[in-house]
Amino acid sequence: MRQIPYVMAINEAFAEEMARNDKIFIIGEDVQAGTFRATTGLVKRFGPDRVMDTPLSETVVAGAALGASMCGYHPVADFMFADFMWCAADEIFLKTAKWHFIHGGKVQVPIVLFGNIGGGARVGPEHSQCPESVVWHTPGLKLVVPSCAGDAKGLLKTALRDPNPVVYFYHKRLLGLPGDVPDGEYTIPFGVADVKKEGKDVTVIATSYMVQHALAVAKELEGKISVEVVDPRTLEPFDIDTIVKSVQKTGRVVIADEDTKRCGVTGEIAMQIMEKAFDSLDAPIQRVAAANLPIAGGYMEQYVLPGPKDILAAIEAVAKK
Amino acid sequence: MKLGKKELIMLYTNLLRARRADERIVKALQEGKVVSFYHSGQGSEAVGVGACSFLRNDDYLYPHHRGHGLAYILPKGASMKAHMAEHFGRATGMAGGVAGFHGVDPEHGIFGGGGTIGSQFPVSAGWGLGAKKNNRGQVVLCCFGDGSSNRGTLHEAMNLAAVWKLPIVWICENNLYAQFMPIKDAYPREDIADLAHGYNMPGVVVDGQDVIAVHEAVSAAVERARNGAGPSLIECKTYRYRSHSEGSADIAHAEPRPAEEIEAWKKRDPIKLFQEHLLKEGILTTADVERIEKEVMAEVDEAEKFALESPRPDPSILPKLLYQE
Repeated sequence: MRQIPYVMAINEAFAEEMARNDKIFIIGEDVQAGTFRATTGLVKRFGPDRVMDTPLSETVVAGAALGASMCGYHPVADFMFADFMWCAADEIFLKTAKWHFIHGGKVQVPIVLFGNIGGGARVGPEHSQCPESVVWHTPGLKLVVPSCAGDAKGLLKTALRDPNPVVYFYHKRLLGLPGDVPDGEYTIPFGVADVKKEGKDVTVIATSYMVQHALAVAKELEGKISVEVVDPRTLEPFDIDTIVKSVQKTGRVVIADEDTKRCGVTGEIAMQIMEKAFDSLDAPIQRVAAANLPIAGGYMEQYVLPGPKDILAAIEAVAKK
Repeated sequence: MKLGKKELIMLYTNLLRARRADERIVKALQEGKVVSFYHSGQGSEAVGVGACSFLRNDDYLYPHHRGHGLAYILPKGASMKAHMAEHFGRATGMAGGVAGFHGVDPEHGIFGGGGTIGSQFPVSAGWGLGAKKNNRGQVVLCCFGDGSSNRGTLHEAMNLAAVWKLPIVWICENNLYAQFMPIKDAYPREDIADLAHGYNMPGVVVDGQDVIAVHEAVSAAVERARNGAGPSLIECKTYRYRSHSEGSADIAHAEPRPAEEIEAWKKRDPIKLFQEHLLKEGILTTADVERIEKEVMAEVDEAEKFALESPRPDPSILPKLLYQE
C-alpha cells in the first residue's frame, strides 16, 4: 500500500469531499496558505469562495460556519490551533452543539470544527492543548482524534458527510508521519475502535499521538509483556464494546491520553470500563495523562506532558500487580 | 415602498398583535401557566413590526429577545399559537416544547435563538454568508439591543460583514437599559449607530416609536443589501415599559427607574401614535379600531386555548434529538 504523511492524507480527504459535494467550504484564518498544510493548494482547485480566508476573528469564523450550515452548506471551520476554539466557546459549546436539540430538531448544523492539537513542539500553554475532554463533555458534538494517516483520511471523509457538528482534532506531532493510505475511495465509520496491535497481557487504550507512543513501547516490551493497543479513533461516538472485549482478554488496563488528567478522557474511559467490565479487571487501571498544570513552555513542557516513559512505567506497574 | 391603506392597516394590526400577545403571556405567567421566564416587549413593538412586516419568507431573521421575538416573528409569518405553546411547554410549540422560549420557524427564515446576549452577531454573519452564497437576493435582519452592542462579537461580525459585503441589516433596539445598566454608563457616545462609520457602512438613527419611520429606514437598508451593496446599521430609539424580566426589580443600577421617564415614554406609545395618525388621515375609523381589537383578541384567545389544550412533549424524544440521523 502507498504511504503518505498524515497531513497529506487530511488534505486528500478535503479535496475528494469538496469535489464530491459543492456545499462544503473551508473558512478560517490563512486557510488558503494552510498553516499546517492541511488545506494548502485547495484554493487553486476550488477557488476563494470555497477556501475562505477570514480576518483574525475566531468568534465569527465559528458563527459564520454555524449560520451557513443552517442555510444548507457544510462548512469546515478551521481554528488553526485547537486552543483558539476558546475564543469561540459560545458559538461552539452553546450554539453549534445544542441548536439542533433545543430547537426540537428543526434545524440542522452539519459542520466540521477543525483544530490542531497537542504538545511536543515547545510552543507553550496556548498552542499545545488537547481540549478533548471539554468537547467530549458537551452533548451534541462528535469528536474525532485520528492517530495515523489512514484513519485521518477515512474519518475526515466521514466527518464531511455527517449531518451533525463534528470536532476533528489532528495532532501536530503526527503531521509528517507517513502511514498506509489506500488508493481508492474509502471511509471509516465513527464509533469503531481499532486494535492497532494485538496482545494478551495488558490493554493500552490510547488516543491520537499517544497511540504512536504506545505502539513503540509495545514493541520495546516484545518478549517480556504482550501489549494490546486499542485506539478508539472517535471519542463521540465511543466504542466501549471493543475495549471491553480486550479487557476481558487481558484483565489489565493502561489508558493514555494527552489531555489534562483531572476530569479528563482517561478518567471517563476508566469509569466506563468499571461499569462494563469490573469483574474482568485483575489490577487497578493505570492512567497516563498530562499533569494537572498548564502546559509549560520551553524545556519545561516535558515535565507536564505524558510520554513513552510514562506509558512504559504504567504498563510495568499494572503487569506486576 | 409607498404604503397603501392595506399595508398601513396590516402594520397597525401587527403592532396590536404583538402587544396583546405579550400582555397575555405576562398574565399567563402570573397565573402559573408559563413554564419559563419572560422578557416583555411592551413599548417597543414599532421596531420589530416596522422592520419585519414586508420581508420575504426566505429572508433570515434573528429577532430581538424582548417579547421573545413577538414583534419581529409575528410580522415575519410565525404562528402566535406555536409561540404561546412553546412558552406553555407544549409539544406544539415552535421548538416542540424543548426550548421553552427560544423561537424557531425555518419556513419563515427563523433558525433559532440563543440565551447569550450578543451571540446573534456571529451566527447572523453566517446566515449572511449563506444568503450571499445562495445568490437569490435574500437578506438577514439581525436585531439586538443597546446591551448587546457592548459585546466584542459585534465587532467581529460587523467587520466581516462589511469586508465581504454580506446582505445584513443590523437593527439596534436601543431601549436605554441592559437589564439594570443604563446605556449612558456603558457606551461613550449618544448614538450606537455611530459604530457604523468604523465599518464603512451606513448608520441611521430613527424614532423607534414611529412604525413608519422604522419601516422606511429598514426598507432602504434591505434594498441596499438585496442589491449587493452590503450591510447597514439602524438604531431605533425606544423604551420598554416593564422591568427587564417578569418578577425582576424595575431598576437602573440599584435605584428605581425614574417614574417620569416611564410616563414620558408612555405618552409616545407606538400603538397610540400610529392609531392617532391613521384616524387623522382617515385610514381607520373608530369602528375599524374596535373591530381590529376584537379580531386580535380572538387570535390571542385562540392561541392561549391551543397552547393549554396541547400535550406536553414525550420525554422519550430527548435522546433522539441529540443528533440528526
